Amino acid sequence: MEKSVNNAITIDSVSMEYQTAGGTKRVLHDVSYQVSEGHFVSIVGPSGVGKTTLLRLLTGLATPTNGSIAVRGQELHGPPQGMAVVLQDYTRSLMPWLTVAKNIALPLKRSGLSKSEVAERVMSSLEEVGLSGSGRSYPWQLSGGMQQRVSIARAIASRPSILVMDEPFASVDAQTRFDLEDLVLKVRADFDITTLMVTHDIDEAVYLSDEIVVLRGSPAEVREVVSINIPFPRSQVASRNDPQFAHLRTRVYALVRGLE
Amino acid sequence: MKSAVSRIPAGVVTTVVALLVWQLVGSFGPLHGDSFASASQAITGLSSLARQSDFWSAVAQTVEIAAIGFGISVLIAVPLGVVIGLSRFAYRSTKFTFDFFKVIPPIVIIPIAILAIGPTLEMGIFLVVFANIFSVAIQTAYGVRDTDPVLLETMKCYRMGTWSQIRYARLPAAASQISVALRLAASASLIVAVVASLIGGAPGLGQLLGLLENAGKTSQAYGVVLFLGIIGLLVSRAIVLAQRRVVFWSGK
Repeated sequence: MEKSVNNAITIDSVSMEYQTAGGTKRVLHDVSYQVSEGHFVSIVGPSGVGKTTLLRLLTGLATPTNGSIAVRGQELHGPPQGMAVVLQDYTRSLMPWLTVAKNIALPLKRSGLSKSEVAERVMSSLEEVGLSGSGRSYPWQLSGGMQQRVSIARAIASRPSILVMDEPFASVDAQTRFDLEDLVLKVRADFDITTLMVTHDIDEAVYLSDEIVVLRGSPAEVREVVSINIPFPRSQVASRNDPQFAHLRTRVYALVRGLE
Repeated sequence: MKSAVSRIPAGVVTTVVALLVWQLVGSFGPLHGDSFASASQAITGLSSLARQSDFWSAVAQTVEIAAIGFGISVLIAVPLGVVIGLSRFAYRSTKFTFDFFKVIPPIVIIPIAILAIGPTLEMGIFLVVFANIFSVAIQTAYGVRDTDPVLLETMKCYRMGTWSQIRYARLPAAASQISVALRLAASASLIVAVVASLIGGAPGLGQLLGLLENAGKTSQAYGVVLFLGIIGLLVSRAIVLAQRRVVFWSGK
């Protein structure tokens, strides 16, 4: 099968089942979707629908029961090169025994970069997320929002072509969430990263995305793919006031709730 | 008044009270007699021992047995615990056996150890290792298993291999568990070193204690016990301080 070169990720008829004590649990059924290079795609759906399962498949942490996933034309067997992750639980995904700078440098160990290049990467990544002065702190000395910035800095330090985020802003307060959303938009613009995000926050999905994939059902299927045609660059004030914004958030909400 | 009282270290009050009670019981209580030394007699006994070189060589032998035994236990048990902790199967299949060995008091294998090795320094070291190795290995394995799966998955996503995961995640994650196990093991090492010497005839403070007891030198025998209490306390304190520096992130 010929694969289109401008697809960063190709999800091809993916199904996922788990064996549980109560029998076979079917989580995903025949999910197909293509993520275009450079796009920001959000995956939304009701709680427990299988969003995180899909994300685990995309990162190569799990293998689908049926179907296949390809990253830039290469079928996935384990976590692929050029992918970085940001998870919801920053306290659990950062190492309390390493400083912020060392946390960021750790994934670069086998990248072939020299010591000074790694130090340079760490510096510039911290600068990108607005934490220039915090390299020598330990994660637990920082606020939640700052810790999530560290996770983002770690992600961009490896210069990924694909960034995968699982509910990245679910554990921070509302004001911090807006700041982090704008940081993610900036990072994506600066590095031209294809970004996939699982979220339960529909407004956030509309604000950030080029496309929203709505999962529904049990087992979950792709209910609809919604294009978000609000112009870039986006801003918390102007974009959220765009008449399209209200229309799209209502539409996605109705799809998630099964009202449409 | 309150501030003046609270400025006294809490441990001082109970220590003074305990010494006073000891002194009174030894001087007036039913235990009063040749076979029981009061606090002041024990302290006098200890200070007279402290002027004898025999005493200090016995101290050195006991400390040597405890320290070498402790060191060997750590060198074997921690890597062993890591290996066991990495595999679910190994953990489950060794846990039963190790728990079994863990509860055997080292004192009951003294007769076997004497038969096999003889009443020597090496026998003492063997007993100390036996006393510690299973509990330290189990605790290490437990800590390694208990590493946050979110952290490990994050590392996998960044394509860090098994060795990196051990070095940067599993060992540090197990460090609190390991340090607690080591604190207990250090105290146990000292106790077992003395018991090996007292009952098993290995050289050291236990042997000296037996000799003093048989010679009727009650206050000196109590002095040895007092001395053991003091070094036990110092060792435990030293490990707690080291632990705070090494596992500085604990509880954060």
